[in-house]
Amino acid sequence: MASPAQKLPVGWAAEDNQHQRYLFIETATGATQWDPPASQDGPNVQNTPPVAEPSVHHGKRRQYAAGQTQVYYGGGEAAPDLAYPAPGLQPQAVPGAQLFTPGLVGENQFATQQTHPPPGQSGYYNQAESEYINAPSFGQPPPPYGQAPVDALAGQFGQMGVGGQKQFHLYTTNLLTSPPEPRDLQRPPPEIRLPPNSCISPSPFANAHPSYQRCTLNAIPTTSSLLTKAKIPLALVITPYRSLKEGDEAVPVVTDTVIARCRRCRTYINPYVQFLEGGNRWRCCMCNMTNEVPQLFDWDQVRNQPGDRWSRAELNHSVVEFVAPTEYMVRPPQPAVYIFLIDVSNSAVQSGMVATATRTILENLDRIPDEDGRTKVAIICFDVSLYFFSLPVGSTDSNMLVVSDIDDVFLPKPTDLLVNLAESRASLETLLGRINDMFQENSIIGSALGPALQAGFKLMSPIGGKIVVLSSTLPSVGPGALKNREDPKILGTAKESGLLQAAVPFYKTFAIDCSRAQVSVDMFLFSAAYQDVATLACLPHYTSGQTYYYPAFNAGRTEDAIKFAHEFGEVLAMPIMLEAVMRVRASRGLRMSSFHGNFFVRSTDLLAMPAVPQDQSYAIEIQIEEQINTPFVVMQTAVLHTTCYGERRIRVITLALPTTTILSEVFASADQVAIATLLANKAVERSLTHKLEDSREYVFQKLVEILIAYKTSMTSGGAGASAQLAISENLKMLPVLVLGLLKNVGIRQSAQIPPDIRAYSQALLTSLPSQILIPYIYPTFYALHNMPPEAGTIGENGVILPPALPLTSERLERHGLFLIEDGQTIFLWVGRDAVPQLVQDVFDLPSYDVLRGGKTTLRPLSNPFSERVNAVIQKIREMRRGIYYPHLYIVKEDGEPPLRLWALSALIQDRADVLPSYQQFISSLKDKVITT
Amino acid sequence: MAAGWLFLFAVLYSAALLFGMVFFVIMFSDLESDYINPIDLCNKLNQFVLPEYAAHAFLALLFLLFGQWTAFAFNLPLIAFNVNKVMKKNHMYDATEIFRSLSGHQKETYFKLAFYLLSFFYYLYRMIVALVAENE
Repeated sequence: MASPAQKLPVGWAAEDNQHQRYLFIETATGATQWDPPASQDGPNVQNTPPVAEPSVHHGKRRQYAAGQTQVYYGGGEAAPDLAYPAPGLQPQAVPGAQLFTPGLVGENQFATQQTHPPPGQSGYYNQAESEYINAPSFGQPPPPYGQAPVDALAGQFGQMGVGGQKQFHLYTTNLLTSPPEPRDLQRPPPEIRLPPNSCISPSPFANAHPSYQRCTLNAIPTTSSLLTKAKIPLALVITPYRSLKEGDEAVPVVTDTVIARCRRCRTYINPYVQFLEGGNRWRCCMCNMTNEVPQLFDWDQVRNQPGDRWSRAELNHSVVEFVAPTEYMVRPPQPAVYIFLIDVSNSAVQSGMVATATRTILENLDRIPDEDGRTKVAIICFDVSLYFFSLPVGSTDSNMLVVSDIDDVFLPKPTDLLVNLAESRASLETLLGRINDMFQENSIIGSALGPALQAGFKLMSPIGGKIVVLSSTLPSVGPGALKNREDPKILGTAKESGLLQAAVPFYKTFAIDCSRAQVSVDMFLFSAAYQDVATLACLPHYTSGQTYYYPAFNAGRTEDAIKFAHEFGEVLAMPIMLEAVMRVRASRGLRMSSFHGNFFVRSTDLLAMPAVPQDQSYAIEIQIEEQINTPFVVMQTAVLHTTCYGERRIRVITLALPTTTILSEVFASADQVAIATLLANKAVERSLTHKLEDSREYVFQKLVEILIAYKTSMTSGGAGASAQLAISENLKMLPVLVLGLLKNVGIRQSAQIPPDIRAYSQALLTSLPSQILIPYIYPTFYALHNMPPEAGTIGENGVILPPALPLTSERLERHGLFLIEDGQTIFLWVGRDAVPQLVQDVFDLPSYDVLRGGKTTLRPLSNPFSERVNAVIQKIREMRRGIYYPHLYIVKEDGEPPLRLWALSALIQDRADVLPSYQQFISSLKDKVITT
Repeated sequence: MAAGWLFLFAVLYSAALLFGMVFFVIMFSDLESDYINPIDLCNKLNQFVLPEYAAHAFLALLFLLFGQWTAFAFNLPLIAFNVNKVMKKNHMYDATEIFRSLSGHQKETYFKLAFYLLSFFYYLYRMIVALVAENE
């Protein structure tokens, strides 16, 4: 679903805000300065007659539940959406037309519902206990809930083509006749239709936005046998620390350290709990335990007066941060610590890496998070010896201390190596300015990366923090030395997966030590030759860091330098979370069974992450252990962390999903993007434990199983079956995403992909959030020469992009200019008959013949077409989250073959070598499905 | 006489191995219920992996030297299994992968437990048979 903020028309939200302010002044009770969207009282007060007294709904629980099941189990055909019903909503209390009732549009349906008491509902909605404690009991206006906003929302949904009906109607598509449509990937996942009154908040933020947490199924089967029937894997895709782009709502913070948690299952209070006994107790939505509401829960500590419970952020927002009291600390919050390990061997200096890196650090010293002035920094250079720099406070000088004994690393000095960024700023600046000159003439070849890591670890292990490794050679001496094991003969064979596994145990065991000491490692790798990315990537993988790879980096090419400097600068500026642990809790019956992503699994369900970077994604598979009897389930991710400015916090993300007993709903609610993200993780894992061939087979087989399950249970089968390959509309893009995954560099069948490139691609596949991962496996393809006039100009949401084309070379025209991008690289494809005017306009060159292919920077020229093309490229580089700054390649249609083939390999619907085209892929799927 | 003593020794020996496996089982269930973290678990268990293999191999070697062919043959499959694991270098427990492979490890440990239990009674039987034969 799209962000609820986007669903509200602009004018409406503004009006709302006004009313909100107005209301506050009048009631003068709620202090909700950090929580503006908590109540959308305005239009409600205006448009609806006063909602009935809360007492009215007592005793009507039965009907209420009936409406609920009706909605839920597939009645209410014309039901418009309602994802967030209000507390104390009473469908029966108000004459039909006045109040919108989810699932009940006409009186007739309502009557029908009343005659059908639901099975198995009373257990959950127990009459005696389930009185919602409403705002009115606190002397507040009734909880906001009105026709106008809901209608507006419903209208919005209608426009977006994801109306509420869709959930219940399974639209079957024939894959043989409907080619993939790139626009479908932009659609929000199937809407989450919670039963009415499951949520106590009317806030549109009460359920997690898919960019934070999304589930492969938006309706959870109640039994594992139902799930097995559907064959769709059940998993959560979580990006707990998503970056905020412009226009994104900041995560509300609960500052009063009143943290209500369930006594038994430790769930944090969220919009899906129920208040009982006049609001003195609350019932946990996961384990049904009744808990006391903390005394200070209704107390506004800022103004020192009774506060409004309903405006508390944790009851209105699914994503919320609590400031944690000392019980959540094992030690005082640590400062952020950065240690830079810079390779200064001959090749590193010659490639310009050292110069670019030091300059980037120097330029970004101000952006390194240091709000509290406690951030510490150290710089260690290494070739086959280690070079420490002592930076005494109050001096602008630095001393270099050389340690050549790399078998038993020691720190040459107890102090002044790890210095306070603010205090030693001057000496740091001078040092950074000098490092490149110091090692300019360095002719030493070789790298003692292992010892350097040990030294960095020794330096920071009492505190923890981030080690940033910049290395451009294969580690050759000391512990952690690696051999060049690249062997072109075994590429493409069963033995290839060996090259993707760690060559030596050092990096794994060291990663475990790091994880214990709260040290995270980021790897920036630059080598032109084999560098064993697979082994080195282990370290970031288990310490929640990230690997960045710039093959054959050469700062002499400005494009390389710009890309690296931009990405490195973003990493430095990133406000990381420190010493974090993450746990996902779920309603009874669900269990987190396996975990994928960059972290260390410290116990059965606890993930240790020494430093959480922004925009890193994790996939967690879920098992249905026992039958689920509740109408909806809740999954809550909690990340306990220290912010980089020394505050202990807990970020809580709550996702509520309805349950279902109907197979068609399972299919209709499947989220193809989340499934593809999970499959990417599973495929990479399988390629390490088994073989690459097995992992491809696994992904393909999974898709076939889903199609077979769909065919046998959802279509009539039999005679007409051979003419079609059926799948539900919302899973229509899954086959092409799977094809894209199979053709991705990470697991593609090929004997030409260097193991380093493969390993890096696998690192991306397992850590990118869906927003960046999907283009990475299914690139975007635009035609620029005939783009519509508004494309490339500034529209409502920034630069307007041209319509995306299907990824097939049939769309390439000989006179055209095309753009293909996968989030990591941008290709500008120039057809061989490109008119001179086009070449002149875009590249400032007289004709196609003088145009050169390859990495380039496109200079903006003063003509409208060039401006639009540049605007499109700029937009592509900025529109996604994450730090990546894609290279731009000019690809000439008759240019050098490797580059051309690389660009064409992004057109995944084409046949390439042994890899099937989309049509072939679909027909092989069809054969598989029909024969079984 | 030799056979009786040999099997007496084997009985005690397999009892010790049996307890070793019980220790493994307990440790794994501790890990499952979160009483121990995977790093400590792996450090602890990895100390015992090779000694256990060696002890088992040593017992089998004794059977071979004493010419107890059936007893030796009985142990042969497990030796082959262990040797195979060591050759493939996946005999050690890996803290980073332990949760993913936990069920496999547990199965293996239970299997070994059953094996040592069986061998315990088998050696006991052989010991009694040997003693009875001697007395007659």
